[in-house]
Amino acid sequence: MPPSPALRRALIGYGLLAAGSLGLPLVTRDSYHVDVATTILMNLVLTMSLRLEISTGQLNMAHISFMGIGAYASTILMMRGGYSFWITLWVAGVMAAVWAVPIGGLALRVSGPYYFLITFAFSEVVRLIFNNFFAEWFGGPSGLVQIPKPDPLRLAGVQLTFVGKVELYYLMCALLLLAAAVLVRLDYSRFGLVGNAIRQGDVLAETLGVWVFRYKLTAFVLGSFMAGIAGAFFAHSHQVLHSSDFSLEPMVLLVVFTVIGGTGSVWGPVVGTVVLTIASEFMREFHYYEILVYGAVLILTMLLLPEGLISLPGKLGRLVRRGGGGEAEAMGAGVAP
Amino acid sequence: MPIELLVQALLNGFALALVYVLVALGLTLIFSILGIINFAHGEFYMLGGYATYFGVAVFGLHYVPTLLLAIGAVGLAGVVAERLIFRHLRGKTLNAFIVSLGLLWVLQSGAQLTFGVLDKPVPSAFSGIIRAGRVIISVERFVVVLAAVGLIAVLYGFLQWSRVGRAMRAVAQDPDGAALQGVNIEFTSMLGFAVGCALAGAAGGLLAPVFAVSPPMGALPVVKAFIIIIVGGMGSLPGAVLGGLLLGTVEGIGSLFFSSAAVNVLGFLMVIAVLLVRPRGLFGAA
Repeated sequence: MPPSPALRRALIGYGLLAAGSLGLPLVTRDSYHVDVATTILMNLVLTMSLRLEISTGQLNMAHISFMGIGAYASTILMMRGGYSFWITLWVAGVMAAVWAVPIGGLALRVSGPYYFLITFAFSEVVRLIFNNFFAEWFGGPSGLVQIPKPDPLRLAGVQLTFVGKVELYYLMCALLLLAAAVLVRLDYSRFGLVGNAIRQGDVLAETLGVWVFRYKLTAFVLGSFMAGIAGAFFAHSHQVLHSSDFSLEPMVLLVVFTVIGGTGSVWGPVVGTVVLTIASEFMREFHYYEILVYGAVLILTMLLLPEGLISLPGKLGRLVRRGGGGEAEAMGAGVAP
Repeated sequence: MPIELLVQALLNGFALALVYVLVALGLTLIFSILGIINFAHGEFYMLGGYATYFGVAVFGLHYVPTLLLAIGAVGLAGVVAERLIFRHLRGKTLNAFIVSLGLLWVLQSGAQLTFGVLDKPVPSAFSGIIRAGRVIISVERFVVVLAAVGLIAVLYGFLQWSRVGRAMRAVAQDPDGAALQGVNIEFTSMLGFAVGCALAGAAGGLLAPVFAVSPPMGALPVVKAFIIIIVGGMGSLPGAVLGGLLLGTVEGIGSLFFSSAAVNVLGFLMVIAVLLVRPRGLFGAA
């Protein structure tokens, strides 16, 4: 049986992501380029998992806090407990997921703007705790420094080290492709379909027998697990942690990447993250006007393309064909959190 | 503990909280009418502060007419923002979030480029203190409290009895129903947004002499306003007032026992505690 068009699109998309990310070091090994690319890949894990949560109709403003929980968990386990990175990496994800159960369970009692605001309140509490309390563990306002890089790994008799920038890039690449495989698979499964149904009308979905709460919580916990993994990578590649790494500001950037890219498709966050990160590197040319221009770009993009950058090809196509285009409908509509 | 200390702490907490209630009322009014959360709300507070600074410190006007002018000017800025941007985003919460974020960056960095990064002090129009036993409050803060209470009363009267105010409440309840009754949705939304912004501008003008004005000055009041409206219930005006009084009490009394960092956590913990009992806030509609 030939693969369905949806599956074919998923495979092509995943192939492009894999080829692009794995192939980049063949094009450039410039340390600045690799740095930016590593950050993009790490942010992709965060935005793609955030989109999983948004696709059930909920904008979780505490997503970055779970990255923080993962980062601090992995760091403390390695520096105090002496465990290997290959253990702490997964513990970081599990720790984030474990905290996600009660926090998500409480927050998901409400929806829409209430959810948005209560998760924001949670993220501030988590950040203030990192910054002001348990200073002997979290380092207080000065943060944690001299965090070791990931341990070497023996794989099939070959010793892999993760010290150089390119080596760390490939580690992040592997983590991203793993996470993306799960997320893309989910999106084109029953899980993705039901998520779509919940986003379009959760009361209706509930009457059709969907256990909406459990569904949203699953997305929340899985998204948090991935954020925790990204956090562990962040901690050991940057080697410094500070509570402000997990504040409102970087969180807002994640939301911007995701929504500007488009939340209707699993590839929206990929487009948004890559385009906006590269664009903002170029916007440095504007010096003092950088933030001003960035803000204006956001406003214009959202007014002209309410469904995000991912809807641009479909829109152009419809403009050319005039009245054709059932294709663009598959991208899905804009979401209210 | 001496009772005077408690009263003093409560008074200090209330004075600021009442001004933050003004910011919160604007935010919640805009939310209930347009269905969006305006993250750039603190920037309208900042504009109010700068308008006051220019009136008093640069042009040498008296504080009271300056404040009224500032409120009008920020309301006008709100009209522009609504017509150009926000009317396209009615009810689209997620898109409105990104756009208001963009507006926040544009206004804040625009203010930095035009007015400079340094704090600008605004001379105080009122001096002296009021003494009641061992409780002390400066005349300046007392005027701020009076003005805030006055503005809240005016807003209440406007929404309760004026024709446009009632139209606003109708749109907040049900836009389609309101339109069927002949309410002009476009005009009402525009006016609602403008009134919301003007309230933020009033708060900025009131606190300009208390703190100095600076481009990022809107960040703190807007966070406080968010706490207030979550506790009170989004879209509820009495809720915003009650939420503000609660926040003032918690922060005022909390500051007697805890460090300022812990008091900040206290505000957010109050949010979580209230939402555990009443997920939609104290006055939120089910």
